[in-house]
Amino acid sequence: MAKRSGKGRRNPPGRKVNENLRLGSREVWTRNADSGKSVYGETRRDFSGEEWRRWSANRSKICAGLLCARENPDGLIPNSGDDILYLGAGHGTTISHLHDVICGPENIHSGRIVGVDIAPRCLRDLTFLAKSRKGIIPVLGDARKYAEWQIYVPNKVNWIFQDVAQSAQVDIFLGACQKFLNHGGTALLSLKAASERWTKEGEKALFDSVGEKIANSGLEIVEAVDISRYEENHVLFHCVKKAHS
Amino acid sequence: MWLWYDWRAAAIVNQDGLIIDIIEWSKPEVKQATYRIDAIRNGGLTDEAEVLAQRFPEATICLAGSDELPEADYPEMTAELNEIFEEAALGLAELGLSRAAGDSDRRLEHLQKAMTEVRDITLSLESRLVEWVGLFLPQVRFERNRVQLASTVSQSDGLADLAHKLGVEAPEVEPETSEWRSLKGHAQSAMTFRGQLDRMEAAVRTIAESHLPSLSALLGPLLASKLCVSAHGRERLARLPSGTLQVLGAEKAFFSHLKTGTPPPKHGHIFSHPWISKSPYWVRGKISRTLAAKASIAARVDAYDGEPWGQEQVSEVESRVNEIKSSHPKPPRK
Repeated sequence: MAKRSGKGRRNPPGRKVNENLRLGSREVWTRNADSGKSVYGETRRDFSGEEWRRWSANRSKICAGLLCARENPDGLIPNSGDDILYLGAGHGTTISHLHDVICGPENIHSGRIVGVDIAPRCLRDLTFLAKSRKGIIPVLGDARKYAEWQIYVPNKVNWIFQDVAQSAQVDIFLGACQKFLNHGGTALLSLKAASERWTKEGEKALFDSVGEKIANSGLEIVEAVDISRYEENHVLFHCVKKAHS
Repeated sequence: MWLWYDWRAAAIVNQDGLIIDIIEWSKPEVKQATYRIDAIRNGGLTDEAEVLAQRFPEATICLAGSDELPEADYPEMTAELNEIFEEAALGLAELGLSRAAGDSDRRLEHLQKAMTEVRDITLSLESRLVEWVGLFLPQVRFERNRVQLASTVSQSDGLADLAHKLGVEAPEVEPETSEWRSLKGHAQSAMTFRGQLDRMEAAVRTIAESHLPSLSALLGPLLASKLCVSAHGRERLARLPSGTLQVLGAEKAFFSHLKTGTPPPKHGHIFSHPWISKSPYWVRGKISRTLAAKASIAARVDAYDGEPWGQEQVSEVESRVNEIKSSHPKPPRK
């Protein structure tokens, strides 16, 4: 998409959440770490000499979460320089924006994003992304089999996001949080109702029972963000791992 | 006591979190690091870890990051090591991607789907050609000679010549020169696509016969490959119950049955097998059930490295099919 100037604005619209991210009521912007390039056709714009990319809520569940969350949306975003784990990395749409936030150009904040996906087709795109954006580690592997990618996560991380549309996604998530997440770290689960076994009580009951399961496993649910405005039948669980109990 | 290891070092640590022994990889380098990470992912040990495991056989071997490991000052990652690690990880992802081409399921999927597309194109080109030529030469009877027609047209110099070759009277109306050229070009495309279709079929046969030997022996390679692709791979095909295999390809009828209670389908892709399609209607359901049951066993034999089926097993199934046919010689009374 064509690069447009920021109409004399000094900053992208919205308030500052992070050095590299601004959150408006309708839109989210991240400072482009790979200047001059769009990753998936998103809008780029100059604001006082810096290039920012607009994060599309229709294509990223985290962005949708940022716009829909009522409780502490800022908590959804990892800090600059964090190590994070992303299960179900997909084509790298979301990862590119996370990279803007936690790594920056040439990885000046020295963050690390470990992105695991099982589909070679997705990983192909992710590998191209990783070449132009330092700090992204693409891993071809099964999210269920921790042993396949434990070597990439030698230290516990502060932030985990899981977006795998398969059954037993909750168990994978809880296992990963237990094994790889720091106490006090943030864990996000994007849950697609259609991927779970259908129960008679319907979607609401399904999300409730998942919430209960999460709450019983040492995680505290900050909010179950309803992102159905952007992504049908989805809920984004925003959790924090409880401190040592 | 524990043996801590990752791709570039190994250490022995005791209950108090003291490092008793440590070996670091002397000259880290990207290419070797790729192999090391790959080995560790597959459950292997590095050279350093091997040495320490021999020195301290009583130590529990744990990959870095395991929960049981005590807190200790494990060797730090330097910036240089990080660089190597990131490059090696990228290399490993690329290696995994190139290995994905070795997966016959994925190859068969592209081939099978491309073949379906080419078949659609070929058939519509050929039927258009028959109608087109039939307009100018109404006396020609093509019957089963459609494939031949394309080559006859593309070898003719003009409609009169074509009429002569087909043994009918010269046409009443002559097409424009450019129109004739288009017609001839169309025939040439039909031939090209027919040739491509034959090549693809040969390719599907080759892959299916090595990837699904038993299923190919029982159902023929083309049908075997069709089933494998609609089941999303051999492994999954092997795990499907035979009732599902029986109706693969009849999803529309099947889900309409579940939703609105229409009669369930008796057969999907498997219908194209002559044992079913050439049998009288009242035994088709029975035969397709038997055949699907046997086919699902064959698929399991293929997926889990069994002894591939040969003529013997196939004739057993065939005799069972004939038994069904002979025990139901007449249609049931309504």
